[in-house]
Amino acid sequence: MKLDNVFKKTRLSSGRKGYISLSSARPEVPEGLLRKCNKCGSAIIAEDVKNDHYICPKCGGYFRVHAYRRIEMVTDAGTFEEWDTGLATPNPLEYKGYEEKLGALRAKTGLDEAVVTGKAQIDGMEVVIGVCDGRFLMASMGEVVGEKIARAVERASKERLPVILFACSGGARMQEGIISLMQMAKTSAALKRHSDAGLLYISVLTDPTTGGVTASFAMLGDVILAEPKALIGFAGPRVIEQTIGQKLPKGFQRSEFLLEHGFIDGIVERPQMKETLAQILMLHKQGNIEAEHSDDRDDADGNTGEARDQNEGFGKLSVNNQLASGWDRVQLSRMNDRPVGSDYIRELFTDFIEFHGDRYFADDKAVIGGIALFRGMPVTVIAQAKGTNTRENIERNFGMPSPDGYRKALRLMKQAEKFHRPVICFVDTPGAFCGLEAEERGQGEAIARNIYEMSGLRVPVLSVIIGEGGSGGALAMATADEVWMLENSIYSILSPEGFATILWKDSSKAKEAADVMRLTAEDLYRMGIVEEVLAEPSPYTIENLKEVTRVLESKLERFLSRYGKMSCDELTQRRYDRFRKL
Amino acid sequence: MIKKVLIANRGEIAVRIIRACREMGIETVAVYSEADKEALHAKLADEAVCIGPASSSESYLSMDRIISATIITGADAIHPGFGFLSENSKFAELCEQCNITFIGPDSKVIAKLGNKQEARNTMVSAGVPVIPGSTEAIYDSRTGAQAAQEIGYPVIVKAALGGGGKGMRVANTPEEFEHSFQTAQKETQMAFGDNTMYIEHFVQRPRHIEFQILADKYGNVVHLGERDCSIQRNHQKMIEESPSAALSEELRKKMGEAAVKAAKAAGYQNAGTIEFLLEKNGNFYFMEMNTRIQVEHPVTEWVTGIDLIKEQIRIASGRKLPFTQEDIKLNGHAIECRINAENPAKGFRPSPGTITDMYLPGGKGIRVDSAIYSGYTIPPYYDSMVAKLIVWAKNRREAVQKMQSALGEVIIEGIDTNVDYQYEILNRPDYLSGDIDIEFIAENEEALREALQ
Repeated sequence: MKLDNVFKKTRLSSGRKGYISLSSARPEVPEGLLRKCNKCGSAIIAEDVKNDHYICPKCGGYFRVHAYRRIEMVTDAGTFEEWDTGLATPNPLEYKGYEEKLGALRAKTGLDEAVVTGKAQIDGMEVVIGVCDGRFLMASMGEVVGEKIARAVERASKERLPVILFACSGGARMQEGIISLMQMAKTSAALKRHSDAGLLYISVLTDPTTGGVTASFAMLGDVILAEPKALIGFAGPRVIEQTIGQKLPKGFQRSEFLLEHGFIDGIVERPQMKETLAQILMLHKQGNIEAEHSDDRDDADGNTGEARDQNEGFGKLSVNNQLASGWDRVQLSRMNDRPVGSDYIRELFTDFIEFHGDRYFADDKAVIGGIALFRGMPVTVIAQAKGTNTRENIERNFGMPSPDGYRKALRLMKQAEKFHRPVICFVDTPGAFCGLEAEERGQGEAIARNIYEMSGLRVPVLSVIIGEGGSGGALAMATADEVWMLENSIYSILSPEGFATILWKDSSKAKEAADVMRLTAEDLYRMGIVEEVLAEPSPYTIENLKEVTRVLESKLERFLSRYGKMSCDELTQRRYDRFRKL
Repeated sequence: MIKKVLIANRGEIAVRIIRACREMGIETVAVYSEADKEALHAKLADEAVCIGPASSSESYLSMDRIISATIITGADAIHPGFGFLSENSKFAELCEQCNITFIGPDSKVIAKLGNKQEARNTMVSAGVPVIPGSTEAIYDSRTGAQAAQEIGYPVIVKAALGGGGKGMRVANTPEEFEHSFQTAQKETQMAFGDNTMYIEHFVQRPRHIEFQILADKYGNVVHLGERDCSIQRNHQKMIEESPSAALSEELRKKMGEAAVKAAKAAGYQNAGTIEFLLEKNGNFYFMEMNTRIQVEHPVTEWVTGIDLIKEQIRIASGRKLPFTQEDIKLNGHAIECRINAENPAKGFRPSPGTITDMYLPGGKGIRVDSAIYSGYTIPPYYDSMVAKLIVWAKNRREAVQKMQSALGEVIIEGIDTNVDYQYEILNRPDYLSGDIDIEFIAENEEALREALQ
């Protein structure tokens, strides 16, 4: 039965033709009650947006947040103390109408300039915070913005506090011309001094971060976070499109694009921003093993490291199965269900936070790196990452790092050095990725650079080979104070297949190769390449991972306490000697 | 007076409201989801606006879309029906902010009565009986036994963090208390990692008795008698009637007065329902107040002769109640059966689909409120209630007979319904005698299943 237009409509009482309401209050949506989401276009109730971190309840898109609201959202209530208000904005170009424009903006927004700076607490930890406010000339950086940031950073350096800057800016302020350009140098220089003083700077990029701000303070964080889908770039997308005459791909210059290209450490959803900042601050608050151990450097047991070495070094061969052949071990080291790097991170550490990107080209998923706590002590953890299934393995390129992976590892190691954190590496790679792109971006250079820099790293470095230790790709994360191996892991100049190909021109002779290469933990231990060999249960899977990590954990603790006591010079000298004698 | 109403609902209640408006010369606007293009309410209204996809959260629950539809069509009031946004204080507040008349109580009153603790406190201070319970957290059985004595047996020991029946035990006598308390507390510790207990009078086999009230903007409140909604399955009402076989004239007066007191204490306006639990000994306790029109309102309409939807609109327009308590007389007996598209043989699984053929009963004392028609496809996204069959006769016995007769005439082809199940309920001796309580369905389940085969 079709019911279209079959029913009679309401008959209005006689004389009423339409109507004029008696009350003057006609139904209407009052100003400000509803807003239109600029992302998905739907109407949303303004209060819902305010109550939910200024996120559209329909599409999850982010609205821009005013500076003071942002400070409220990420700091402890009532702890913010504002600094440097009321600085006069100059008009160096005597640009017509500039003062009037500023006056009008001040009246409208209640802000005195485009950035708010000051001191606050996050979970009780003191920080210096600066937040750009896009309502004020798109938070472009003129002299006052540069000055406020520089002053805040300088004061943070003096008070030895971490700095957090929330960037949101169109770039340099055109109206102030070359003076604006100089703010890029001023802020960057202040941050350089802050960093040289061994202090932390977290940069948070929000929509939009472009131009001279991207090309200065925004990109200089020890840790760079971004909000989802924020526009981040140097040249604006429209300018690029006009210049090159091409349409830009979807998602170009968004946070996700930057993450993929290695320029940010992570994307953090707004509701999690405060806890993420707190976690990073916490991981940097403790630390400084040098300072902690400086008192007992000439420690009571009176032994120098070397003396101890003779007593107990190279005395820890603990294997369950001495009969397995080289080839057996090769196969065991490649077993699909063997625990992988991420399993060890989860099992041995707490509060792990992963950081991404090499800051040059990409984020290599074959390497996982970040900071975590080991028994309360912050450490930098880096693992060559195989996957636990085929899909994950494809994503992680079967644990074969690209140059970007080594550069990410190095970046995190240099950061560990800055903050005096020990570095713990888990090695598990068939070898560095062998491919066109890898060569284009300098695979050899990346490996060399890692070996070179690691040899002089002024913090303790430990490498544990948990599976395959394939050639230079492994050494680039194993130029360490000590290298340990799991019983059925291998470490060699090349894969047995490669070895057979080069020497015998026949890759099918890999089995024979494995037996002559001396690539087992036992061989390497006897040759003095590794210091410890850890026994494995058989078969070794995630189920009994704890049997290994329990031993690893107590050995790790001993390693950290022993090497943590050494001076930086002693550490690097020993590391130098370790390889010098081979 | 309201001139144009937008009905923020669907199904038979939307149809019911459109009809009331039409009779009053008020224009109507229906809103519908993409799945309800062919729904009767959308066809019947003077105008219809599509407000989004099938999912309720994006259509019938989307406040901004409904508000926008109201403004665009120039309606000056919204009737929320029941379910969906009808008891959403935020929606009522939005209407207030937009100068749209929300046909229902004030948003603040909805919020207050929607909060269980606040509602209870309001009733306690107004002198409306609530289920007696311990006022403080209880951690040990000795203090508990004392509290139980004051409250009066039987009592139920509950986990303060409770839910899902975990950590709940009934103690009928002081002797049983120690054991019940210990067991409940142990369970609570296991389930919630906490041992905070709460003790409440256990209302044994109560009837669900609710009182309809109407309140205007001038402080006049009347009650329109009760509805007995004890026939429930999993807290879903199936059959409602008015008056209740369990209420004497005296008890009706007492409970009615309590209901009026409750409404006044809450500052209530418009139509509302106060739900009570009634014990066999005649004690009754406030459960909650529903701040909307209810599914079962037709039984009250029939025994009082008052059109509740029209009264709602008049009250919202600022009119005074045209009657006082003395004018309200309950005449005869009305019963309502909810007809659901569901299969009782398959665990009452919803049975959406196309109605291929249909015949509904009629005649003296029979009313059908429905939104179905031959060829209509019941979408799977919403409540399975598709029609209500209401009968009236001069006494309960005749009303039950009329209902049976009417149910026996219902033909709905193409989908499964609970019509036969309802028919069998009416056949149960306990139902016929009027000796019902909220355990009725649970107790008769087996017998009903057998009768259906």
